[in-house]
Amino acid sequence: MRIALTLVFILAVAGAAGAGPLDAPGATKALNCAACHGPSGQSPSDAMPILAGLWPEYFKKAIQDYAAGRRPSPEMEPYAKQVLELGVDDVAAYFASQQRASTKVKVDAAAVERGRAAAQQCAVCHGSEGKGDRAKLIPDITGQPPGYLRTQMLLFKEDRRSPGDERLKALKALMKTIPDETFADLAAYFSSVR
Amino acid sequence: MTGITRREFLRASGVGMVVGGLAGGCAGAARGDMAPKTGRRVVVIGGGWGGATAAKYVRLADPSIEVILLEPNRTFVSCPFSNLVLSGVRTIDSLTFDYRGLRRHGVSVRHEAATAIEPETRRVRVGEGYLQYDRLIVSPGVEFQWEQVEGLAENQDKVLHAWKAGPQTVQLAAQLGSMPDGGVFVLTIPPAAYRCPPGPYERTCQVAWYLKNNKPKSKLIVLDANQNIISKAGLFRAAWRDYPNIDYRASNKVVKVDPSGREVATDFGDKVKYDVVNLIPPQRAGTIAVQADLVGADKRWCEVNHLTYESVKHRDIHVIGDSTIGLPVPKSGNIANAMGKICAVAVVHLLDGKQPPALPPGNTCYSWVNDREAIAVVNAYKIDGGKVVQIEQKLTPGQSVAVAQNAVGWATSIWNDILG
Repeated sequence: MRIALTLVFILAVAGAAGAGPLDAPGATKALNCAACHGPSGQSPSDAMPILAGLWPEYFKKAIQDYAAGRRPSPEMEPYAKQVLELGVDDVAAYFASQQRASTKVKVDAAAVERGRAAAQQCAVCHGSEGKGDRAKLIPDITGQPPGYLRTQMLLFKEDRRSPGDERLKALKALMKTIPDETFADLAAYFSSVR
Repeated sequence: MTGITRREFLRASGVGMVVGGLAGGCAGAARGDMAPKTGRRVVVIGGGWGGATAAKYVRLADPSIEVILLEPNRTFVSCPFSNLVLSGVRTIDSLTFDYRGLRRHGVSVRHEAATAIEPETRRVRVGEGYLQYDRLIVSPGVEFQWEQVEGLAENQDKVLHAWKAGPQTVQLAAQLGSMPDGGVFVLTIPPAAYRCPPGPYERTCQVAWYLKNNKPKSKLIVLDANQNIISKAGLFRAAWRDYPNIDYRASNKVVKVDPSGREVATDFGDKVKYDVVNLIPPQRAGTIAVQADLVGADKRWCEVNHLTYESVKHRDIHVIGDSTIGLPVPKSGNIANAMGKICAVAVVHLLDGKQPPALPPGNTCYSWVNDREAIAVVNAYKIDGGKVVQIEQKLTPGQSVAVAQNAVGWATSIWNDILG
């Protein structure tokens, strides 16, 4: 028994240098996020947003808004409170440090072209290619899953995302002028921009 | 276990002869050490939601550690979403995955069953051979307590549970499909605790939806051993307003089944006739956990440290998933996945002689109420005083297509998190 324990100890010390992807700061605090948002925040699904590469201040604001109920989501509110409990700055820094790969969800080429033509109205805030404006916390929406983008546009249109937020008034007014079916085209386009 | 010989341990747990007998020979004689250990090694028993996740994440946390996963089944069939197979909304193939992803992470997947655990020598017996470990992660899921329902043990081929997704799921769907219109489908729910608290109520929705659309003269009788719906009660009650074919009877514990008379009996002596029965038996921790003396005084579930998932009964052995008890968490796939990750990180820290980080699990749980709408409950936890404590539970305000879209997103991601 003693020999076995000694051997385990020696091997443990010898193996301690091994570094894996969970050694990054904040990685272990983000473990629960992977169930929905994928490994390293690289969401493989259509519905869940990619967190890899998000600006840390944008991630932090989103978590604070979810936790406070300003951005209503029964799924995200409990987890946002957990992230605040664990340390939102660590988790934000972890996702910010992950290289974002664009969504692999396939979109229809015709929808992309229709979306490109309709996207001019988004450029005022999100920039001509949808890359956003970090100083104003206007997010880079390129490469996100189309299902997620479409859902967010619908939530804005119905004033169910961040209801009552003054800074989003103009955006929501614009969304009300866009037919629902165009959202799918816009989502297809922005998800395809690399 | 220190100070107890293997023979004493086997005699105390009453499994030595059984295991030897099943293996068809003298345990330990023929195969010996199946894979001599050269470095640090973690053995994982069970390749379900907890075990497969743990095996992958030990490798992610430290690729210098050898990981051997013991799982008899060659494919992984998802229990979440399997109620949709009964209603014909999904196929079993769409829920079936292989273990190639884990092998790409360097996990040695062996499709064999662990037959006994020897804590003192740090060995897992596999029939006549054994594997040595530095730390063992046990994720055996649940086993059914057949003996709790008279007439069940000898009729397992006719009275289906379909509570472990796989062949029985397909068979039950076929029984439902061939039931005549006007027939009675009886679903029985065991007393808590059991795997997936909302699962029987989601199944109620799926069977009722199928009957409503395909056999409108048929009825679904639900005999629930519990006093009320034990998860998402308000949301399920609201969903059931669309299904007048449901006859839900709380506090009706089924204690007997008679397949020849097509009848079940409750503990009050009430008898209920059926054309098709789906009897979900009472449950306990997977058999290996009971045999290895990892269960508590109740002989059903395993108590663990809330930070490391190390068994309170045996050192260097960790238990995760549905077999555990004592944390304020449901027996869900999402929880097993979270435990798998947290346990993997803890095991790697302990092997390195370091203090493991205090990481809490989380639970997202979707239930389908028809072919296109779902509901959800979400629980987040924190660590407080060394224990897992709930921070908050939230329910979706109602059933919707949007929640169902998120359910599909969740499934896509978590299957990938477990096996990808």
